Amino acid sequence: MDSSELYHVKQQFFLGAYKSLVDLSLPDPSSPNYIPTLVYQARAHIALNDPGAVASLIPADSDNVALRAVSALSLYVSASDATKQEAALEELRDLAVEIEGADVVGTERDKLAVRAIAGTAFARAGEVEEALETLGAETEDLEAVAIIVQIYISINRPDRAKREFERAKRWAEDDLLLQLIESSIGLVAAKDGYSNANSFYTEQLGNPSLSSPHILTARGVTRILRNEIPEAMSDLKESLELQKSDAETLAAYVVAAGIESKKGEVEELWTRLTTEHPTHPLAVDVAQKADLFDAFCAKFVVPPLAVAAAA
Amino acid sequence: MSVMLTKFESKSNRVKGLAFHPTQPLLAAALHNGSIQLWNYRMGVLVDRFEEHEGPVRGVNFHLSRALLVTGGDDYKIKVWDIRPQNRRCLFTLHGHLDYVRTVQFHHEMPWIISTSDDQTIRIWNSTSRNCIAILTGHSHYVMSGFFHPKDDLVVSASMDQTVRVWDISGLRKGSPNNGGPGNFETFDTFSTVKYVLEGHDRGVNYAMFHPTLPLIISAADDRTIKIWRMSETKAWEVDSCRGHFNNVSTALFHPKHELIVSCGEDKTVRVWDLAKRTAIQTFRRENDRFWVLASHPNLNLFAAGHDSGLIVFKLERERPAFAVHQDTLYYIRDKYVRSYEFNTGADLGLLSVRKFGSAYVPPRTLSFNPAERAVLVTISSDNGLYELTTLPQQVQGEVKDSSVDGKKGAGQSAIFVARNRFAVLQKTTQIIEVRDLANSVVKAIKPPVQTNEIFYGGTASLILSSTSSVVLYDIQQQKTLAEINSPPVKYVVWSSDGSLVALMSKHTITIANRNFSQHSLIHETIRIKSGAWDDSGVFIYSTLNHVKYCLSQGDHGVICTLDNPVYLTRVKGKTVHCLDRSARPRTITFDPTEYRFKLALLKNNHEEMLYIIRTSTLLGQSIIAYLQQKGFPEIALHFVQDTNTRFELALECGNLDVAVETAKTIDRSECWDRLAQQALKQGNHKIVEKAYQQTKNFDKLSFLYLATGSTDKLSKMQKIADARGDPMSRFHNALYAGDIFGRISVMRDVGLYPLAYLTAKTNGLEELAVEILESAGLTEADVDDVPAFGLSTLKPPPIVNVTTDLNWPVVSIGQNFFDRALANGSLETGVEPSYVNGDATAGASSALDAWAKDEEIQDEVDPEEGGWELDADAGEYQGAEPVDEAGEDDVEEELPGSTPGVSETEHWVRNSPLAADHVAAGSFETAMQFLNRQLGIVNFVDLKPLFLSIYRSSHTYLTPVASLPPLQLHIRRNPAEGSLGRVLPVVVKSLGSMRIELSEGFRLVSQNKLAEAQAVFRAVLRALLLVPLSSDEEARQWRELVTTSREYLLGVCIELERRRVAEEQPDNVRRNLELAAYFTQCNMQPPQVQIALRSAVSVFSKANNQADAARFAKRLLELKPDAKIVAQARQRIAAGERNPRNAVEISYDEFTAFEICGASYTPIYKGSPAVRCPYTNQAYLPQFQGTLDPLVELTEIGAVASGLPAPW
Repeated sequence: MDSSELYHVKQQFFLGAYKSLVDLSLPDPSSPNYIPTLVYQARAHIALNDPGAVASLIPADSDNVALRAVSALSLYVSASDATKQEAALEELRDLAVEIEGADVVGTERDKLAVRAIAGTAFARAGEVEEALETLGAETEDLEAVAIIVQIYISINRPDRAKREFERAKRWAEDDLLLQLIESSIGLVAAKDGYSNANSFYTEQLGNPSLSSPHILTARGVTRILRNEIPEAMSDLKESLELQKSDAETLAAYVVAAGIESKKGEVEELWTRLTTEHPTHPLAVDVAQKADLFDAFCAKFVVPPLAVAAAA
Repeated sequence: MSVMLTKFESKSNRVKGLAFHPTQPLLAAALHNGSIQLWNYRMGVLVDRFEEHEGPVRGVNFHLSRALLVTGGDDYKIKVWDIRPQNRRCLFTLHGHLDYVRTVQFHHEMPWIISTSDDQTIRIWNSTSRNCIAILTGHSHYVMSGFFHPKDDLVVSASMDQTVRVWDISGLRKGSPNNGGPGNFETFDTFSTVKYVLEGHDRGVNYAMFHPTLPLIISAADDRTIKIWRMSETKAWEVDSCRGHFNNVSTALFHPKHELIVSCGEDKTVRVWDLAKRTAIQTFRRENDRFWVLASHPNLNLFAAGHDSGLIVFKLERERPAFAVHQDTLYYIRDKYVRSYEFNTGADLGLLSVRKFGSAYVPPRTLSFNPAERAVLVTISSDNGLYELTTLPQQVQGEVKDSSVDGKKGAGQSAIFVARNRFAVLQKTTQIIEVRDLANSVVKAIKPPVQTNEIFYGGTASLILSSTSSVVLYDIQQQKTLAEINSPPVKYVVWSSDGSLVALMSKHTITIANRNFSQHSLIHETIRIKSGAWDDSGVFIYSTLNHVKYCLSQGDHGVICTLDNPVYLTRVKGKTVHCLDRSARPRTITFDPTEYRFKLALLKNNHEEMLYIIRTSTLLGQSIIAYLQQKGFPEIALHFVQDTNTRFELALECGNLDVAVETAKTIDRSECWDRLAQQALKQGNHKIVEKAYQQTKNFDKLSFLYLATGSTDKLSKMQKIADARGDPMSRFHNALYAGDIFGRISVMRDVGLYPLAYLTAKTNGLEELAVEILESAGLTEADVDDVPAFGLSTLKPPPIVNVTTDLNWPVVSIGQNFFDRALANGSLETGVEPSYVNGDATAGASSALDAWAKDEEIQDEVDPEEGGWELDADAGEYQGAEPVDEAGEDDVEEELPGSTPGVSETEHWVRNSPLAADHVAAGSFETAMQFLNRQLGIVNFVDLKPLFLSIYRSSHTYLTPVASLPPLQLHIRRNPAEGSLGRVLPVVVKSLGSMRIELSEGFRLVSQNKLAEAQAVFRAVLRALLLVPLSSDEEARQWRELVTTSREYLLGVCIELERRRVAEEQPDNVRRNLELAAYFTQCNMQPPQVQIALRSAVSVFSKANNQADAARFAKRLLELKPDAKIVAQARQRIAAGERNPRNAVEISYDEFTAFEICGASYTPIYKGSPAVRCPYTNQAYLPQFQGTLDPLVELTEIGAVASGLPAPW
């Protein structure tokens, strides 16, 4: 059972309240919560797209596997070229092997953290199979399940995701993370018009113990899916005010505005997204499609324009 | 008790006596004209009439257990009738009374009849011996009524002598009654004595009766009062009077079940009184008719009242119990207690008392259950409608809670839960629907769009509003009407368990609609519809007054079983119907669902299930055969018809010749063979034709058939037969058909036609034979030398090209179908019952299914080949391929290993839609372009790039639920409630609505004279319209309208821009300038813009001094009723034109001939001249522009062939 501090840390992490998590003061190094809190804080930095901060947070000579894993992840995320990325992945692969061994510096919880972090990195690298294997098919770590579920969803296997969720439901009771998993599945395998996700995010928005613009964005996205565009736009706008440069929120807002057909605004926002976050999948995807369009377009022979002979 | 519920009414002569049949829905009415009517009040039909009495009949009564009716009339006679339908007649007549007979009644257990008469006596008769066994004397005036006590040996009588008397007749039962014959009065008095004489009425008493259980008597008198009397063992006394009638009271009755009195009188009223308080509760008035008699049903809540011009049958309260079903529990109200009933266990619990809610006499009307809060919302019709919201206790211990403890009340005619924490209340008088929260405070007030009489749950956040002529599906949140169906007032609404179908029930119709009312079917019932419930398989089971019936969603319906008394269906599970009876007690009815299951299987093409039913059920009879035949499945009907005649008919109908032959053999009648021959001929099965002709000895046709099939040996046989039959004509025919010259000659010789025989021989080169004929005719060559010489005959049968004698034409392959095979190998005998709820073929199917599968094999093999389901085949084939897609998809998903990517949602979109817009949203630009090219002839896509990208961009959104993982790409659907991937479609980015808004922006720009901008807007609209996904014919029509409007505007704007260019660059070219101005006015725009065009034309033409034309435009301008200022200017122009009706410049513009304007050259194309068209906008162009890019929108190749938009809905 987690202590209430750690529970709160985890809650903040899972619900995307990364900013408040980063600002949290660390517990005493001797406390059993110290390492896990540190790990989550480091991961929050990475999630905020600030992997550099991890290096200052975690001592370089740390022996703990979880801390080493999170450092490796930060290296992977910040790596500028493929070799550095590969090196970070190798480090994580070694760690994944190491935790199988007997003399590991770290608790059971730390081992699980290693798996989760390694799984995250592999999934990022597109190594789906490796990620799934690292996380373990029969894992009883809900965090691993959450990652597995998201991986399955990303490869269009909601059936697998559901199976994973059903399995987790048997032992995880009504954990917050489980609800999050359920709502993630609900985002793809639409049932009852995305009501699962919608009510989960609405409920969490009302959660007095934390405030997370990420949840607001998530609800905005859910509302887009529910075709409640004006409501979605208001959520996203609010979220955007809280975190001006959040790519995800911005991207979702562009989409919503596009459906609402607010022409001028859309183009302006779109330009902002493509310049500020050129690597966001939406920007990348649309750019690809634009090239595709040109290729296909060229296949059609355009006849000369009909022009009236000069009278 | 706000209204008296009239169930039946009849018009007739004055009704003086009434009696209910104790078990059947029959009512006997004794009429003043001497006739006795027997009504079936439930069906509303007159069953019979008895007309043997002379003069008015007043007394009438049914025997409690035997089919007997007794009547007494003003002819002093008492008649006993047999009322069994087959032998309705008067059994016997009892003579004895010396004056009018007033009332008659059978004893409840003895074979006695009691009668009262104006001869001041009461008589008791033995109906077995048909003797009078007692005469009760004592009354000193007409005896108006006399009845047995329901249990004791007592009689109560009422008389014009102002008394009510109670008689003790116990002696009658003990002692053997007299046999002394009539007239011997003294002997009777010994065993029938007056027990009490009740005095109190100060006018004659018309009616008196015992209370069914209590020691009470009620009497009704001409002193306008109703008196209640109580008896003890030793005495009887008056308890109280009910005053209120303002004329003679004819009858007063105790309510058989409740503590109520019902009375009627000559003041034209029926009144209801509280027995305990003796206060009037309700009065029902009739305009012109005095009431003479009242009768109550012994068991049911049913009364009948007879008046001057007929009778009415009525109820005092609704019997329909208030109930709601949630999952496996029924919540209902009985005797003012909310109870729960578990369908599975039968556990029946009282949960809550609602005794203090509303009027004590009125049962609650409706109940709505909220499972989340475990709350009930009860309505009652008393006090102009009330509702009460109460939570049910979690556990019931000891005393049940009364709703008044914490119930929240309010006024309203109809109240239902619409959400977990909201309920809606209808205020009928003000026509407002209040949405309230659980604290009973109003959160929203809605004005319904129609006059609403009742509201029902309409799905999430929706209501169903019932008005007098329609039913409306209404969205509470958006406050708008989603759909409306015409229907008589809907009284009850039942949703199927999955919420996909709803039954809207009115008095005589049921409308079955889907969730959004977009599809519906109507069923008419002549008998009143009472209730209904959904079967798990989507069959609606409903009850009428006397039947339980089923109806399938497409409207077929039929009877399941008959009912003695109405029931209220609550739940259907398998073969069991759960229902509440009229006293709100849960009951179950077991029925045989075979028939509708079979029909359902037929509808769903579930052959496996059908076969199972055919195999296992014995029910299938004529009706199902007729049904199958009517629905176009004669071949299936054939499988369970035993009757040979029917089998023959069916076999012919479905072209199954084998069966037809077989049955024809059994029937063996010539018309059968004839018809078989016809059918076989159609199919080219000449062997059967031959057989049929042989059977009917139709030699001519047979011969011709052999000729047709080229069967020469058969023809020679036919010759022999003809010979044997002695039919030379037939022989000749056959010889002719067979090309047998010798045969022909011999026929002619045989019949003595020597000249013909001779010539035949001669022309066929048979000289010797010819000579022989001559000889046998006794002639020589010389005798026939005047016969001209003929050439050789070429007459011979046509040569045989293909030998068909032994072949049948391979026309229709009847083959063995699924049923033939399955029934033939009998493999289903031990088959497991297929799950019939779902039409899908299940795993673990029997061998019959395998047989079925064989037929499908070829198709199955194709499926995997289709792999990616590339839709670049033809759009037209799309729909056919759909089901295959779905079937295949499941397989694929099962086989995939864990980490293999599945089918992306975008692929589903691509599969699910043949519309370019949806393919763009899915990112499948190539197929989208191909669609646009094929459907609308688009070739130039460059300008569509921003549109494609923005639609694609707006159809997907991203979210990262778990930190640092790559964001999930989520796909936005336009049908977020859709559960099946086979039907999901992308969000609508460009809608018709948004296009309209953009278009009106264009109109505005035209009006503001910003033509270049307007041109851009119209072009943009026309481009965007390409990518508007459509979903119905109506939308397609609107789409076409928008395209046409935009095109006309665009054309107009282009013409005007061209005119301005001409005016600027070629100022000398006045003619062209004028022409263009004129054409601009011809564009089909809206009045404000046409006005602008016309005004511009007027000014340009008058500047060019074409006054006549300018005046014409001005006239057209006036027709559009512009502003006063413009009118004045126009008038001036017209005046100028009249002064100077000349044109300075000759132009090519003939407004009197219909023309279109070429979109490239801006010159007219008059009607009838050739034109080529833009495949998208349908804009006309001169033929010389064929094959070029259209200059208006720059999208299509002019004159290209396009298929038009598909209609996938």
